[in-house]
Amino acid sequence: MTRELVGEELAAHAERLAPGSVAKTTATACYLRPERAIEAFQALRRDSQTDLIHLTNLCGVDFWDHFEVVYHLQSFDRNHIGVFKVETWDREKAVVPSVMPVWFGAWMQECEAYDLLGIHFEGNTRQHRILLWEGFPGHPLRKDWLSMPGGLQPGLSEFAGTARRETPPVRVVED
Amino acid sequence: MSAIKSEPFILNIGPQHPSTHGVFRVRVSVDGEQIVDAEMVMGYLHRSMEKLAEERTYTQNIPFTDRTDYLSSMSNNLGYCLAVEKLAGIGVPARGDAIRVIMAEFQRLASHCMAVGAFANDTGAWQTPVMWSFRERENILDLFEMTSGARLTCNYMRIGGVAFDLPKDFVPAAQKILDSLPKFIDEIDELLSGNEIFLVRTKNVGVVSPELAANASLSGPMLRGSGIAWDIRKADPYCGYEKYDFEIPIGYRGDSFDRFSVRLEEMRQSVKIIRQALAGLPGGPHSTQVPLALRPPKGEAYARVEGPRGELGYYLVSDEGPSPYRFHIRPPSFINLSALREMTVGGTVADAIVVLGSIDIVVGEIDR
Repeated sequence: MTRELVGEELAAHAERLAPGSVAKTTATACYLRPERAIEAFQALRRDSQTDLIHLTNLCGVDFWDHFEVVYHLQSFDRNHIGVFKVETWDREKAVVPSVMPVWFGAWMQECEAYDLLGIHFEGNTRQHRILLWEGFPGHPLRKDWLSMPGGLQPGLSEFAGTARRETPPVRVVED
Repeated sequence: MSAIKSEPFILNIGPQHPSTHGVFRVRVSVDGEQIVDAEMVMGYLHRSMEKLAEERTYTQNIPFTDRTDYLSSMSNNLGYCLAVEKLAGIGVPARGDAIRVIMAEFQRLASHCMAVGAFANDTGAWQTPVMWSFRERENILDLFEMTSGARLTCNYMRIGGVAFDLPKDFVPAAQKILDSLPKFIDEIDELLSGNEIFLVRTKNVGVVSPELAANASLSGPMLRGSGIAWDIRKADPYCGYEKYDFEIPIGYRGDSFDRFSVRLEEMRQSVKIIRQALAGLPGGPHSTQVPLALRPPKGEAYARVEGPRGELGYYLVSDEGPSPYRFHIRPPSFINLSALREMTVGGTVADAIVVLGSIDIVVGEIDR
């Protein structure tokens, strides 16, 4: 079974390898400071105890007031997986450092996050709108982009239209 | 001879080219015969599934997953259902797990039939291998039709199990296919693996070193073809895969031929798994009762399965609403393309076709 590293373990590793790089820790994830993230990722990849050589998944999440970029990193030899996150709070100019120098294969997933969420990845030399065309208005995966045509609500009969997101929730996931 | 000046020539492979297996374009710059640069242009099939899924309930999203990788809808259903089950903490009865394994492995067989046949087509073995593999794939699709009512977009898995129990005559029909498939695999192995033209076209073409494979986030047969024995069914078993006895085939050179032979060997292993699953098919319910308007607790979950093309992951974020707050697919064939430039530069245009075929892309999944 792949061991899922908990937030505290990840933070301990990150602090050991790059002191001062951890912004905060939750039960499942470790948040890194954007300016120190690349240094920490480099060290986490090289260190024999963490050995996070494979960037499995990279995606962005829009939380109305901020964006989170989620990194799922795993090790083949140690058979464990960990979740790191980097936050960016500027909606107009959302910038996070690119992990392309660490895991080369991240470039396509970063392009996707840039295209659909409008997060700039500083240092990604191949960043472009990968799925939509240049000049497409806006970034569709942002929560304020548009809802379903006709204002339809999902759900089944009496459940339809309840608990929808008319007002932006702030801090949706574990505080 | 300084008067003769040569410039790179830009050649479009696609969007509608048989080798791109869909609407996908590679802009290659060629210097004579040699490729000096390759740029991918994609998005012709973009349907914004991740946005659409945010507006539908968890169960309503299952048919969407069919339509991402339309050659392996069962695996897609399975990955998504596992992610929701992980998020909401739902268990699956033993019979449901066994049926899921049987279906996912049949799907791998069907998908690899397509991959192997189309790959042979790309290398110039025109039509015969692809027709032979379609013949076998057809039988598997009949089996899916018998079980779920659909051949391509099955929509068979449900959160907490599967939609229906297996029909009465499923097991004999499956046994019949399992008896005929190994013969076909050996046949196509003999036909292609010993064929000199096929070997010349595929050996040492599109070589991926293990370092590049790990660094470029590759997964599935791409990773195993380069010699990294990483299979999520073994490393992170789901649906009771730890109970079955099978091996992880790997390649050593990381070229197109190795990826082809890894797929062929995987088909043999899949037959083995299905035989074991059918022999030990438990009784009991096939699904647990799950509320129609499912509202998983706040949190996030990432679940992955070993799909035919590699690691197929679903990342879900819940805000306790009836639909996912964020629905992200980790598409294996999209990410397997990230090293395409490294694989094609330096080769010829004809090699680029073989490399694309060996990656086994499905454009519905790349663009989503």
